Amino acid sequence: MSTAPDAPTGPAGTERPPPGDVVLDVRNLSKVYARNDVHALDGIDLQISKGQFASIIGPSGCGKSTLLKIMAGLIPASGGQVVLDGSPVQGPRPDIGIMFQQATLLPWRTSLENVLLPIEIREGARAAATLRDLANELLAMVGLGGFEKAYPGELSGGMAQRVAICRMLVIEPTILLLDEPFGALDELTRERMNEELQRICSERNATAFMVTHSIPEAVFLGDVLFVMSSRPGRIAEVVQIDLPRPRDFSITTSPRFGEIVQHVREQLDLGAQL
Amino acid sequence: MSARSASRETGGGPPVTDAGERSGLDEPVVYEEHEGLLDRVPRWVAIIGLAILGLALWQLIVGLELISRILLPTPLDTAREIVDSAGNIVTGGHVFEALWITTQEVILGFVAAAVLGFGLGVLVGETRFGQRAVMPYLVGFNALPKVAFAPVFVAWLGFGVSSKVVMALFIAFFPVIVDTAAGLAATDRDTITLFRSMGANRWQTLGKLKLPTALPFIFAGLKTAAVFSVVGAVVGEYLGGGKGLGELVRLSAQQLRIDRVFALIFYLSLIGLALFAVVGWLERRIVFWHRPDPTDVASA
Repeated sequence: MSTAPDAPTGPAGTERPPPGDVVLDVRNLSKVYARNDVHALDGIDLQISKGQFASIIGPSGCGKSTLLKIMAGLIPASGGQVVLDGSPVQGPRPDIGIMFQQATLLPWRTSLENVLLPIEIREGARAAATLRDLANELLAMVGLGGFEKAYPGELSGGMAQRVAICRMLVIEPTILLLDEPFGALDELTRERMNEELQRICSERNATAFMVTHSIPEAVFLGDVLFVMSSRPGRIAEVVQIDLPRPRDFSITTSPRFGEIVQHVREQLDLGAQL
Repeated sequence: MSARSASRETGGGPPVTDAGERSGLDEPVVYEEHEGLLDRVPRWVAIIGLAILGLALWQLIVGLELISRILLPTPLDTAREIVDSAGNIVTGGHVFEALWITTQEVILGFVAAAVLGFGLGVLVGETRFGQRAVMPYLVGFNALPKVAFAPVFVAWLGFGVSSKVVMALFIAFFPVIVDTAAGLAATDRDTITLFRSMGANRWQTLGKLKLPTALPFIFAGLKTAAVFSVVGAVVGEYLGGGKGLGELVRLSAQQLRIDRVFALIFYLSLIGLALFAVVGWLERRIVFWHRPDPTDVASA
Protein backbone atom coordinates (compact mmCIF):
# COMPACT_ATOMS: atom_id res chain seq x y z
CA MET A 1 0.00 0.00 0.00
CA SER A 2 2.93 2.31 0.55
CA THR A 3 5.90 2.78 -1.77
CA ALA A 4 7.92 4.45 0.97
CA PRO A 5 8.61 1.32 3.02
CA ASP A 6 9.84 3.10 6.12
CA ALA A 7 7.20 5.80 6.00
CA PRO A 8 6.23 6.51 9.59
CA THR A 9 2.58 5.72 9.31
CA GLY A 10 -0.03 3.66 10.98
CA PRO A 11 -3.74 3.03 10.58
CA ALA A 12 -6.14 5.53 12.08
CA GLY A 13 -6.30 5.65 15.84
CA THR A 14 -3.58 3.11 16.64
CA GLU A 15 -0.79 5.52 17.53
CA ARG A 16 -2.38 7.42 20.36
CA PRO A 17 -0.27 9.81 22.40
CA PRO A 18 -0.13 9.26 26.15
CA PRO A 19 -3.58 10.16 27.56
CA GLY A 20 -2.28 12.75 30.00
CA ASP A 21 -0.87 14.82 27.18
CA VAL A 22 -4.04 14.99 25.12
CA VAL A 23 -5.41 18.52 24.75
CA LEU A 24 -7.99 17.85 22.08
CA ASP A 25 -9.81 14.55 21.90
CA VAL A 26 -12.27 13.90 19.10
CA ARG A 27 -14.31 10.79 19.82
CA ASN A 28 -16.31 8.91 17.21
CA LEU A 29 -17.53 12.17 15.72
CA SER A 30 -20.14 12.10 12.98
CA LYS A 31 -22.13 14.69 11.10
CA VAL A 32 -25.17 13.89 9.01
CA TYR A 33 -27.02 16.55 7.08
CA ALA A 34 -30.60 15.39 7.45
CA ARG A 35 -31.82 17.55 4.59
CA ASN A 36 -30.12 15.44 1.94
CA ASP A 37 -28.93 12.54 4.12
CA VAL A 38 -25.26 13.30 3.45
CA HIS A 39 -22.79 11.70 5.82
CA ALA A 40 -20.26 14.51 5.97
CA LEU A 41 -18.25 12.93 8.77
CA ASP A 42 -18.30 9.34 9.92
CA GLY A 43 -16.62 8.02 13.04
CA ILE A 44 -13.78 10.55 13.28
CA ASP A 45 -11.32 9.71 16.06
CA LEU A 46 -8.28 11.87 16.59
CA GLN A 47 -6.14 13.14 19.43
CA ILE A 48 -3.83 16.13 19.54
CA SER A 49 -1.42 16.45 22.44
CA LYS A 50 0.01 19.53 24.09
CA GLY A 51 2.35 21.47 21.83
CA GLN A 52 1.57 19.34 18.80
CA PHE A 53 0.92 20.81 15.36
CA ALA A 54 -1.62 18.67 13.54
CA SER A 55 -2.80 19.13 9.96
CA ILE A 56 -5.66 17.60 8.09
CA ILE A 57 -5.76 17.18 4.35
CA GLY A 58 -8.24 15.60 2.02
CA PRO A 59 -10.14 16.02 -1.23
CA SER A 60 -12.55 18.92 -1.62
CA GLY A 61 -15.82 18.29 0.14
CA CYS A 62 -14.44 15.58 2.43
CA GLY A 63 -15.76 17.45 5.44
CA LYS A 64 -12.52 18.79 6.90
CA SER A 65 -13.89 22.32 7.23
CA THR A 66 -17.03 20.89 8.82
CA LEU A 67 -14.80 19.06 11.29
CA LEU A 68 -12.99 22.29 12.15
CA LYS A 69 -16.28 24.13 12.66
CA ILE A 70 -17.52 21.39 15.01
CA MET A 71 -14.24 21.56 16.92
CA ALA A 72 -14.73 25.33 17.26
CA GLY A 73 -18.24 24.80 18.63
CA LEU A 74 -19.76 26.65 15.68
CA ILE A 75 -21.97 23.82 14.49
CA PRO A 76 -23.29 20.81 16.45
CA ALA A 77 -22.17 17.26 15.75
CA SER A 78 -24.69 14.52 14.98
CA GLY A 79 -22.86 12.01 17.13
CA GLY A 80 -19.72 11.65 19.23
CA GLN A 81 -18.01 14.56 20.91
CA VAL A 82 -15.08 16.93 20.97
CA VAL A 83 -13.31 17.20 24.31
CA LEU A 84 -10.97 20.15 24.79
CA ASP A 85 -8.85 20.36 27.92
CA GLY A 86 -11.09 17.87 29.69
CA SER A 87 -14.48 19.40 28.97
CA PRO A 88 -16.75 18.81 25.97
CA VAL A 89 -17.10 21.60 23.40
CA GLN A 90 -20.73 22.62 23.28
CA GLY A 91 -20.44 26.07 21.75
CA PRO A 92 -17.93 28.85 21.06
CA ARG A 93 -15.34 29.00 23.85
CA PRO A 94 -12.82 31.60 24.93
CA ASP A 95 -10.01 29.03 24.93
CA ILE A 96 -10.34 28.36 21.19
CA GLY A 97 -8.51 30.61 18.72
CA ILE A 98 -9.60 30.53 15.12
CA MET A 99 -8.25 31.87 11.85
CA PHE A 100 -9.52 31.78 8.29
CA GLN A 101 -8.24 32.01 4.74
CA GLN A 102 -9.22 35.67 4.70
CA ALA A 103 -7.82 37.88 7.43
CA THR A 104 -11.38 39.10 8.22
CA LEU A 105 -10.09 42.31 9.81
CA LEU A 106 -12.54 45.13 10.38
CA PRO A 107 -11.46 47.93 8.01
CA TRP A 108 -12.61 50.71 10.37
CA ARG A 109 -10.34 49.51 13.16
CA THR A 110 -6.58 49.90 13.46
CA SER A 111 -4.36 46.82 13.73
CA LEU A 112 -4.27 47.25 17.48
CA GLU A 113 -8.05 47.63 17.77
CA ASN A 114 -8.51 44.56 15.58
CA VAL A 115 -6.20 42.51 17.79
CA LEU A 116 -8.15 43.57 20.88
CA LEU A 117 -11.56 42.81 19.34
CA PRO A 118 -12.02 39.37 20.99
CA ILE A 119 -11.28 40.87 24.41
CA GLU A 120 -13.63 43.76 23.78
CA ILE A 121 -16.44 41.40 22.80
CA ARG A 122 -16.00 39.02 25.70
CA GLU A 123 -14.98 41.38 28.48
CA GLY A 124 -15.81 44.88 27.28
CA ALA A 125 -13.86 47.92 26.11
CA ARG A 126 -12.30 48.58 29.52
CA ALA A 127 -10.74 45.12 29.72
CA ALA A 128 -9.50 45.56 26.15
CA ALA A 129 -7.82 48.87 27.08
CA THR A 130 -5.84 47.19 29.88
CA LEU A 131 -4.42 44.67 27.39
CA ARG A 132 -3.04 47.22 24.93
CA ASP A 133 0.54 46.45 25.97
CA LEU A 134 0.05 42.74 25.38
CA ALA A 135 -1.46 43.44 21.95
CA ASN A 136 1.45 45.74 21.09
CA GLU A 137 3.90 43.01 22.08
CA LEU A 138 2.10 40.49 19.90
CA LEU A 139 2.22 42.84 16.91
CA ALA A 140 5.92 43.42 17.51
CA MET A 141 6.45 39.65 17.72
CA VAL A 142 5.01 39.13 14.21
CA GLY A 143 7.11 41.99 12.85
CA LEU A 144 4.39 44.62 12.79
CA GLY A 145 5.89 46.99 15.33
CA GLY A 146 5.06 50.49 14.13
CA PHE A 147 1.89 49.35 12.38
CA GLU A 148 -0.31 49.45 15.49
CA LYS A 149 -2.25 52.45 14.22
CA ALA A 150 -2.41 51.33 10.58
CA TYR A 151 -5.78 50.45 9.09
CA PRO A 152 -6.24 47.14 7.22
CA GLY A 153 -6.55 49.04 3.93
CA GLU A 154 -2.92 50.07 4.38
CA LEU A 155 -1.64 46.51 4.99
CA SER A 156 -0.57 43.84 2.49
CA GLY A 157 -2.25 40.43 2.50
CA GLY A 158 0.58 38.87 4.51
CA MET A 159 0.57 41.70 7.03
CA ALA A 160 -3.20 41.40 7.44
CA GLN A 161 -2.82 37.67 8.20
CA ARG A 162 -0.17 38.53 10.80
CA VAL A 163 -2.68 40.82 12.50
CA ALA A 164 -5.20 37.96 12.37
CA ILE A 165 -2.61 35.71 14.08
CA CYS A 166 -2.24 38.27 16.88
CA ARG A 167 -6.03 38.55 17.22
CA MET A 168 -6.17 34.76 17.60
CA LEU A 169 -3.35 34.71 20.17
CA VAL A 170 -4.52 37.63 22.33
CA ILE A 171 -7.06 35.46 24.17
CA GLU A 172 -4.26 32.95 24.95
CA PRO A 173 -6.19 30.00 23.54
CA THR A 174 -5.59 26.38 24.45
CA ILE A 175 -5.82 25.38 20.80
CA LEU A 176 -5.43 27.20 17.49
CA LEU A 177 -7.84 26.19 14.75
CA LEU A 178 -6.53 27.26 11.33
CA ASP A 179 -8.78 26.98 8.29
CA GLU A 180 -6.43 27.23 5.28
CA PRO A 181 -4.82 30.25 6.92
CA PHE A 182 -2.54 31.26 4.06
CA GLY A 183 -4.52 29.86 1.14
CA ALA A 184 -5.26 33.31 -0.27
CA LEU A 185 -1.65 34.50 -0.25
CA ASP A 186 0.86 34.30 -3.07
CA GLU A 187 3.39 31.46 -2.94
CA LEU A 188 6.39 33.47 -1.69
CA THR A 189 4.42 35.20 1.06
CA ARG A 190 2.90 31.87 1.97
CA GLU A 191 6.34 30.28 2.51
CA ARG A 192 7.41 33.18 4.73
CA MET A 193 4.18 32.99 6.71
CA ASN A 194 4.65 29.24 7.22
CA GLU A 195 8.10 29.82 8.69
CA GLU A 196 6.67 32.60 10.84
CA LEU A 197 3.82 30.41 12.06
CA GLN A 198 6.23 27.62 12.92
CA ARG A 199 8.37 30.02 14.95
CA ILE A 200 5.34 31.45 16.80
CA CYS A 201 3.96 28.01 17.60
CA SER A 202 7.26 26.69 18.93
CA GLU A 203 7.94 29.86 20.98
CA ARG A 204 4.56 29.56 22.66
CA ASN A 205 4.42 25.76 22.66
CA ALA A 206 1.05 26.18 20.95
CA THR A 207 -1.25 23.32 20.10
CA ALA A 208 -2.68 23.73 16.61
CA PHE A 209 -4.99 22.05 14.15
CA MET A 210 -4.78 23.19 10.54
CA VAL A 211 -6.97 22.46 7.53
CA THR A 212 -5.00 22.77 4.31
CA HIS A 213 -5.02 21.86 0.64
CA SER A 214 -1.26 21.89 0.34
CA ILE A 215 0.63 18.68 1.09
CA PRO A 216 4.05 20.43 1.37
CA GLU A 217 2.57 22.99 3.75
CA ALA A 218 1.09 20.26 5.95
CA VAL A 219 4.37 18.31 5.97
CA PHE A 220 6.49 21.41 6.57
CA LEU A 221 4.46 22.65 9.53
CA GLY A 222 3.07 19.52 11.10
CA ASP A 223 4.06 16.91 13.65
CA VAL A 224 1.20 14.75 12.55
CA LEU A 225 -0.95 14.74 9.44
CA PHE A 226 -4.44 13.26 9.19
CA VAL A 227 -5.38 12.20 5.68
CA MET A 228 -9.12 12.18 5.06
CA SER A 229 -11.18 10.34 2.51
CA SER A 230 -14.55 11.63 1.39
CA ARG A 231 -18.16 10.42 1.31
CA PRO A 232 -18.32 9.59 4.11
CA GLY A 233 -15.57 11.73 5.59
CA ARG A 234 -13.18 9.44 7.45
CA ILE A 235 -9.60 9.55 8.66
CA ALA A 236 -7.89 7.25 6.17
CA GLU A 237 -4.35 7.54 7.45
CA VAL A 238 -2.33 9.14 10.21
CA VAL A 239 1.16 10.21 9.11
CA GLN A 240 3.73 11.06 11.78
CA ILE A 241 6.19 13.64 10.47
CA ASP A 242 9.60 13.02 12.02
CA LEU A 243 11.50 15.85 10.34
CA PRO A 244 13.80 17.62 12.81
CA ARG A 245 12.86 21.04 14.19
CA PRO A 246 13.31 23.91 13.77
CA ARG A 247 12.66 23.55 10.05
CA ASP A 248 13.47 26.14 7.42
CA PHE A 249 12.43 26.01 3.84
CA SER A 250 15.59 24.21 2.69
CA ILE A 251 14.11 21.10 4.28
CA THR A 252 11.53 20.98 1.50
CA THR A 253 14.25 19.77 -0.88
CA SER A 254 15.47 16.99 1.45
CA PRO A 255 14.83 13.35 0.42
CA ARG A 256 12.88 12.59 3.60
CA PHE A 257 10.53 15.51 2.96
CA GLY A 258 9.97 14.25 -0.57
CA GLU A 259 9.27 10.73 0.69
CA ILE A 260 6.62 11.88 3.10
CA VAL A 261 4.98 14.16 0.52
CA GLN A 262 4.96 11.28 -1.96
CA HIS A 263 3.45 8.93 0.61
CA VAL A 264 0.67 11.40 1.47
CA ARG A 265 -0.06 11.96 -2.21
CA GLU A 266 -0.47 8.22 -2.73
CA GLN A 267 -2.81 7.99 0.23
CA LEU A 268 -4.90 10.85 -1.18
CA ASP A 269 -5.03 9.18 -4.60
CA LEU A 270 -6.11 5.95 -2.93
CA GLY A 271 -8.89 7.81 -1.15
CA ALA A 272 -9.99 9.44 -4.38
CA GLN A 273 -10.45 6.05 -6.06
CA LEU A 274 -12.75 4.77 -3.38
CA MET B 1 0.13 47.11 -35.30
CA SER B 2 3.19 46.23 -37.40
CA ALA B 3 6.52 47.98 -37.22
CA ARG B 4 5.84 49.42 -40.60
CA SER B 5 2.59 51.16 -39.82
CA ALA B 6 3.87 52.28 -36.43
CA SER B 7 6.85 54.09 -37.84
CA ARG B 8 4.74 55.59 -40.58
CA GLU B 9 2.19 57.00 -38.20
CA THR B 10 4.72 58.43 -35.81
CA GLY B 11 6.44 59.93 -38.82
CA GLY B 12 9.84 59.47 -37.24
CA GLY B 13 12.82 57.42 -38.36
CA PRO B 14 14.14 56.82 -41.82
CA PRO B 15 11.73 55.85 -44.57
CA VAL B 16 11.20 52.13 -44.43
CA THR B 17 11.42 50.10 -47.57
CA ASP B 18 10.06 46.60 -47.82
CA ALA B 19 13.58 45.25 -48.07
CA GLY B 20 14.71 47.31 -45.09
CA GLU B 21 11.79 46.06 -43.06
CA ARG B 22 12.70 42.48 -43.70
CA SER B 23 16.29 42.98 -42.69
CA GLY B 24 15.41 45.30 -39.77
CA LEU B 25 13.48 42.85 -37.61
CA ASP B 26 15.74 43.63 -34.65
CA GLU B 27 14.79 47.28 -34.58
CA PRO B 28 12.59 48.22 -31.63
CA VAL B 29 8.96 48.74 -32.46
CA VAL B 30 7.46 51.95 -31.13
CA TYR B 31 3.85 51.57 -30.11
CA GLU B 32 2.06 54.83 -29.54
CA GLU B 33 -1.24 55.32 -27.85
CA HIS B 34 -3.39 57.53 -29.97
CA GLU B 35 -5.66 59.75 -27.98
CA GLY B 36 -8.22 61.93 -29.65
CA LEU B 37 -7.90 65.69 -29.38
CA LEU B 38 -11.01 65.88 -27.14
CA ASP B 39 -9.61 63.34 -24.68
CA ARG B 40 -6.48 65.41 -24.15
CA VAL B 41 -8.37 68.52 -23.06
CA PRO B 42 -8.14 69.11 -19.26
CA ARG B 43 -11.26 68.14 -17.39
CA TRP B 44 -12.29 71.59 -16.17
CA VAL B 45 -11.84 73.05 -19.64
CA ALA B 46 -14.04 70.29 -21.07
CA ILE B 47 -16.76 70.87 -18.47
CA ILE B 48 -16.83 74.65 -18.86
CA GLY B 49 -16.49 74.37 -22.60
CA LEU B 50 -19.55 72.12 -22.82
CA ALA B 51 -21.53 74.54 -20.69
CA ILE B 52 -20.60 77.50 -22.91
CA LEU B 53 -21.44 75.47 -25.98
CA GLY B 54 -24.86 74.53 -24.56
CA LEU B 55 -25.67 78.09 -23.53
CA ALA B 56 -24.55 79.46 -26.88
CA LEU B 57 -26.76 76.96 -28.68
CA TRP B 58 -29.66 77.93 -26.43
CA GLN B 59 -29.08 81.66 -27.08
CA LEU B 60 -28.86 80.96 -30.80
CA ILE B 61 -32.11 79.01 -30.95
CA VAL B 62 -34.04 81.77 -29.19
CA GLY B 63 -32.12 84.55 -30.98
CA LEU B 64 -33.07 83.12 -34.38
CA GLU B 65 -36.68 82.95 -33.08
CA LEU B 66 -36.90 79.23 -33.76
CA ILE B 67 -38.86 79.17 -30.51
CA SER B 68 -40.89 82.07 -29.14
CA ARG B 69 -39.08 84.05 -26.49
CA ILE B 70 -42.20 83.86 -24.30
CA LEU B 71 -42.00 80.09 -24.17
CA LEU B 72 -38.21 79.89 -23.92
CA PRO B 73 -36.34 82.83 -22.40
CA THR B 74 -32.72 83.42 -23.35
CA PRO B 75 -29.91 82.39 -20.98
CA LEU B 76 -29.30 86.08 -20.30
CA ASP B 77 -32.97 86.63 -19.30
CA THR B 78 -32.70 83.67 -16.97
CA ALA B 79 -29.43 84.88 -15.50
CA ARG B 80 -30.96 88.32 -14.87
CA GLU B 81 -33.90 86.71 -13.14
CA ILE B 82 -31.53 84.58 -11.00
CA VAL B 83 -29.69 87.75 -9.94
CA ASP B 84 -32.98 89.54 -9.18
CA SER B 85 -34.11 86.62 -7.01
CA ALA B 86 -30.73 86.60 -5.29
CA GLY B 87 -31.30 90.23 -4.31
CA ASN B 88 -34.74 89.32 -3.00
CA ILE B 89 -33.31 86.40 -1.04
CA VAL B 90 -30.53 88.47 0.49
CA THR B 91 -32.94 91.21 1.62
CA GLY B 92 -35.35 88.65 3.06
CA GLY B 93 -38.13 89.20 0.53
CA HIS B 94 -40.89 86.83 -0.57
CA VAL B 95 -38.50 84.56 -2.51
CA PHE B 96 -36.43 84.18 0.64
CA GLU B 97 -39.54 83.21 2.62
CA ALA B 98 -40.54 80.65 -0.01
CA LEU B 99 -37.01 79.24 -0.15
CA TRP B 100 -36.91 78.96 3.63
CA ILE B 101 -40.26 77.14 3.78
CA THR B 102 -39.29 74.67 1.08
CA THR B 103 -35.90 74.11 2.69
CA GLN B 104 -37.61 73.26 5.97
CA GLU B 105 -39.97 70.85 4.22
CA VAL B 106 -37.08 69.15 2.44
CA ILE B 107 -34.91 68.83 5.55
CA LEU B 108 -37.73 67.57 7.77
CA GLY B 109 -38.87 65.14 5.07
CA PHE B 110 -35.31 63.93 4.52
CA VAL B 111 -34.59 63.42 8.22
CA ALA B 112 -37.88 61.56 8.69
CA ALA B 113 -37.12 59.42 5.63
CA ALA B 114 -33.63 58.69 6.93
CA VAL B 115 -34.88 57.62 10.37
CA LEU B 116 -37.86 55.60 9.11
CA GLY B 117 -35.87 54.08 6.23
CA PHE B 118 -33.00 53.09 8.50
CA GLY B 119 -35.33 51.56 11.10
CA LEU B 120 -37.32 49.56 8.56
CA GLY B 121 -34.10 48.64 6.75
CA VAL B 122 -32.66 47.12 9.91
CA LEU B 123 -35.97 45.30 10.58
CA VAL B 124 -36.01 43.88 7.06
CA GLY B 125 -32.29 43.13 6.94
CA GLU B 126 -31.96 41.61 10.39
CA THR B 127 -35.13 39.67 11.15
CA ARG B 128 -36.79 36.79 9.38
CA PHE B 129 -40.14 38.39 10.16
CA GLY B 130 -39.06 41.57 8.42
CA GLN B 131 -37.67 39.68 5.47
CA ARG B 132 -40.66 37.40 5.02
CA ALA B 133 -43.63 39.50 6.14
CA VAL B 134 -42.67 43.17 5.89
CA MET B 135 -40.56 43.17 2.72
CA PRO B 136 -43.36 42.04 0.35
CA TYR B 137 -45.46 44.98 1.49
CA LEU B 138 -42.60 47.39 0.99
CA VAL B 139 -41.95 46.06 -2.52
CA GLY B 140 -45.64 46.42 -3.34
CA PHE B 141 -45.64 49.89 -1.84
CA ASN B 142 -42.66 50.92 -3.94
CA ALA B 143 -44.56 49.98 -7.09
CA LEU B 144 -47.31 52.51 -6.25
CA PRO B 145 -47.31 55.83 -8.12
CA LYS B 146 -46.53 57.73 -4.92
CA VAL B 147 -47.10 61.17 -6.40
CA ALA B 148 -50.77 60.26 -6.80
CA PHE B 149 -51.12 60.30 -3.01
CA ALA B 150 -50.28 64.01 -2.72
CA PRO B 151 -53.94 65.16 -2.65
CA VAL B 152 -54.63 62.62 0.09
CA PHE B 153 -51.96 64.15 2.32
CA VAL B 154 -53.34 67.62 1.60
CA ALA B 155 -56.81 66.40 2.57
CA TRP B 156 -55.47 64.88 5.77
CA LEU B 157 -52.92 67.50 6.80
CA GLY B 158 -54.04 70.72 5.11
CA PHE B 159 -52.15 73.21 2.96
CA GLY B 160 -49.36 73.86 5.44
CA VAL B 161 -45.85 72.53 5.72
CA SER B 162 -46.77 69.13 7.19
CA SER B 163 -48.45 67.72 4.06
CA LYS B 164 -45.28 68.50 2.06
CA VAL B 165 -43.02 67.00 4.70
CA VAL B 166 -45.02 63.78 4.55
CA MET B 167 -44.91 63.80 0.75
CA ALA B 168 -41.12 64.20 0.83
CA LEU B 169 -40.85 61.39 3.38
CA PHE B 170 -43.20 59.22 1.35
CA ILE B 171 -41.09 59.50 -1.81
CA ALA B 172 -37.66 59.42 -0.17
CA PHE B 173 -37.68 56.66 2.44
CA PHE B 174 -37.79 53.56 0.26
CA PRO B 175 -34.24 53.71 -1.14
CA VAL B 176 -32.91 54.03 2.41
CA ILE B 177 -34.69 50.79 3.41
CA VAL B 178 -33.40 48.86 0.42
CA ASP B 179 -29.82 50.09 0.78
CA THR B 180 -29.73 49.53 4.55
CA ALA B 181 -30.98 45.96 4.17
CA ALA B 182 -28.58 45.30 1.29
CA GLY B 183 -25.69 46.70 3.33
CA LEU B 184 -26.48 44.46 6.29
CA ALA B 185 -26.66 41.47 3.96
CA ALA B 186 -23.27 42.36 2.46
CA THR B 187 -21.44 41.39 5.65
CA ASP B 188 -18.72 38.82 4.98
CA ARG B 189 -19.72 35.30 6.10
CA ASP B 190 -16.32 34.40 7.52
CA THR B 191 -16.33 37.54 9.66
CA ILE B 192 -19.77 36.64 11.00
CA THR B 193 -18.40 33.17 11.85
CA LEU B 194 -15.45 34.86 13.55
CA PHE B 195 -17.82 36.95 15.67
CA ARG B 196 -19.74 33.81 16.64
CA SER B 197 -16.49 32.09 17.61
CA MET B 198 -15.69 35.07 19.85
CA GLY B 199 -19.03 34.59 21.59
CA ALA B 200 -20.53 37.84 20.26
CA ASN B 201 -24.24 38.27 20.88
CA ARG B 202 -26.66 39.57 18.29
CA TRP B 203 -26.35 43.22 19.31
CA GLN B 204 -22.56 43.13 19.33
CA THR B 205 -22.56 41.56 15.87
CA LEU B 206 -24.99 44.20 14.66
CA GLY B 207 -23.27 47.18 16.24
CA LYS B 208 -19.62 46.26 15.82
CA LEU B 209 -19.80 44.45 12.49
CA LYS B 210 -22.94 44.67 10.41
CA LEU B 211 -23.88 48.32 10.77
CA PRO B 212 -20.36 49.61 10.03
CA THR B 213 -20.28 47.27 7.01
CA ALA B 214 -23.62 48.68 5.87
CA LEU B 215 -22.64 52.35 6.25
CA PRO B 216 -21.40 52.92 2.67
CA PHE B 217 -24.66 51.41 1.40
CA ILE B 218 -26.72 53.47 3.83
CA PHE B 219 -25.04 56.66 2.63
CA ALA B 220 -25.80 55.73 -0.97
CA GLY B 221 -29.45 55.43 0.07
CA LEU B 222 -29.32 58.76 1.89
CA LYS B 223 -27.94 60.51 -1.20
CA THR B 224 -30.84 59.19 -3.23
CA ALA B 225 -33.21 60.27 -0.45
CA ALA B 226 -31.68 63.77 -0.46
CA VAL B 227 -32.63 64.21 -4.11
CA PHE B 228 -36.01 62.50 -3.76
CA SER B 229 -37.08 64.60 -0.77
CA VAL B 230 -36.79 67.77 -2.90
CA VAL B 231 -38.98 66.08 -5.52
CA GLY B 232 -41.50 65.14 -2.82
CA ALA B 233 -41.66 68.62 -1.31
CA VAL B 234 -42.10 70.31 -4.70
CA VAL B 235 -44.76 67.87 -5.85
CA GLY B 236 -46.53 68.48 -2.55
CA GLU B 237 -46.39 72.21 -3.19
CA TYR B 238 -47.61 71.92 -6.78
CA LEU B 239 -50.64 69.94 -5.68
CA GLY B 240 -51.17 71.33 -2.21
CA GLY B 241 -50.44 75.05 -2.48
CA GLY B 242 -48.75 76.64 0.51
CA LYS B 243 -46.07 79.30 0.41
CA GLY B 244 -42.99 77.45 -0.78
CA LEU B 245 -40.90 77.74 -3.93
CA GLY B 246 -43.06 75.16 -5.70
CA GLU B 247 -46.06 77.44 -5.37
CA LEU B 248 -44.01 80.36 -6.77
CA VAL B 249 -42.99 78.20 -9.72
CA ARG B 250 -46.60 77.27 -10.37
CA LEU B 251 -47.75 80.92 -10.27
CA SER B 252 -44.87 82.12 -12.47
CA ALA B 253 -45.62 79.41 -15.02
CA GLN B 254 -49.28 80.47 -15.09
CA GLN B 255 -48.09 84.01 -15.88
CA LEU B 256 -45.82 82.60 -18.59
CA ARG B 257 -42.78 84.03 -16.79
CA ILE B 258 -40.63 81.10 -17.82
CA ASP B 259 -37.45 83.06 -17.05
CA ARG B 260 -38.61 83.33 -13.45
CA VAL B 261 -39.61 79.64 -13.41
CA PHE B 262 -36.07 78.74 -14.48
CA ALA B 263 -34.57 81.00 -11.83
CA LEU B 264 -36.74 79.44 -9.11
CA ILE B 265 -35.86 75.94 -10.30
CA PHE B 266 -32.21 76.98 -10.05
CA TYR B 267 -32.70 77.78 -6.37
CA LEU B 268 -34.72 74.61 -5.83
CA SER B 269 -31.86 72.55 -7.17
CA LEU B 270 -29.51 74.39 -4.84
CA ILE B 271 -31.49 72.97 -1.91
CA GLY B 272 -31.04 69.45 -3.26
CA LEU B 273 -27.36 70.00 -4.07
CA ALA B 274 -26.64 71.47 -0.65
CA LEU B 275 -28.32 68.55 1.12
CA PHE B 276 -26.50 66.11 -1.15
CA ALA B 277 -23.19 67.83 -0.37
CA VAL B 278 -23.83 67.69 3.38
CA VAL B 279 -24.55 63.94 3.17
CA GLY B 280 -21.45 63.42 1.05
CA TRP B 281 -19.34 65.38 3.52
CA LEU B 282 -20.68 63.32 6.43
CA GLU B 283 -19.96 60.15 4.47
CA ARG B 284 -16.32 61.09 3.93
CA ARG B 285 -15.96 61.90 7.62
CA ILE B 286 -17.70 58.78 8.94
CA VAL B 287 -16.89 56.10 6.36
CA PHE B 288 -13.22 57.06 6.22
CA TRP B 289 -12.06 53.52 5.41
CA HIS B 290 -14.19 53.12 2.31
CA ARG B 291 -12.71 54.18 -1.02
CA PRO B 292 -15.56 55.20 -3.26
CA ASP B 293 -15.89 53.51 -6.60
CA PRO B 294 -14.06 55.75 -9.12
CA THR B 295 -16.85 55.22 -11.62
CA ASP B 296 -19.40 56.59 -9.15
CA VAL B 297 -19.89 60.07 -10.59
CA ALA B 298 -22.25 61.11 -7.81
CA SER B 299 -19.54 60.86 -5.14
CA ALA B 300 -16.91 62.74 -7.14
